Amino acid sequence: MTSSVGIVFVSHSAELAAGLVRLTAQIATGDVALAAAGGTDDGRIGTSYTRILEAIRQTDRGRGVVVLADLGSSVLTVCTVLDDHPRSDVVMVDAPFVEGAVAAAVSAAGGADLHAVAHAAREARHAVKF
Amino acid sequence: MLSSSDQTSAPVEAAVVLPAALHARPAGQLARTAMGFGCSMWLEHAGRSVNPASVLAVMGLGAVAGATVTVRAEGPEAERAVAELAHILRTAE
Repeated sequence: MTSSVGIVFVSHSAELAAGLVRLTAQIATGDVALAAAGGTDDGRIGTSYTRILEAIRQTDRGRGVVVLADLGSSVLTVCTVLDDHPRSDVVMVDAPFVEGAVAAAVSAAGGADLHAVAHAAREARHAVKF
Repeated sequence: MLSSSDQTSAPVEAAVVLPAALHARPAGQLARTAMGFGCSMWLEHAGRSVNPASVLAVMGLGAVAGATVTVRAEGPEAERAVAELAHILRTAE
């Protein structure tokens, strides 16, 4: 099987990002490259440029990386990282954090390409929960 | 040449009584499997119909243990798609 598109979860909270990796790994049940970039470098609530950059590198298996961010400054920090390291195959997607993560991970586990994984995350906004 | 099942044009369907709720994990497995097929597919429950390749839509059906769901497919490999998806639904834990 070819390698999957990578997915990075950026959150103000290290626990939230790490929990999302665990949750999505269970649902997607495949060999998907997932990484958490949560909290500041010294473990406080906030976002870390270096953690985001490292998570992108970790999940990059040659098929591109989708980055999902929780709120506000997470988004801004991702923008700064992507501005400093511009690549056409690393994209941030505007999506609900949990639903987007699950949809993207399942899509990536199914072998979808970068465009399709990004689309799955984006479409999560329209999913009806019950 | 219409003898091969890959050329099926009539819709294929199977009804399954769920042994367990169609929650996150089986929904994920179902979606991953569905993504591998090129035919059109539907999962129906309680008058609603969703794409089984969409994990969020499948979870959103809220199908509980004992509920009947119907998987339907039309197009290339429709028979195999229905067989594989129905198997996942039948063995959901």
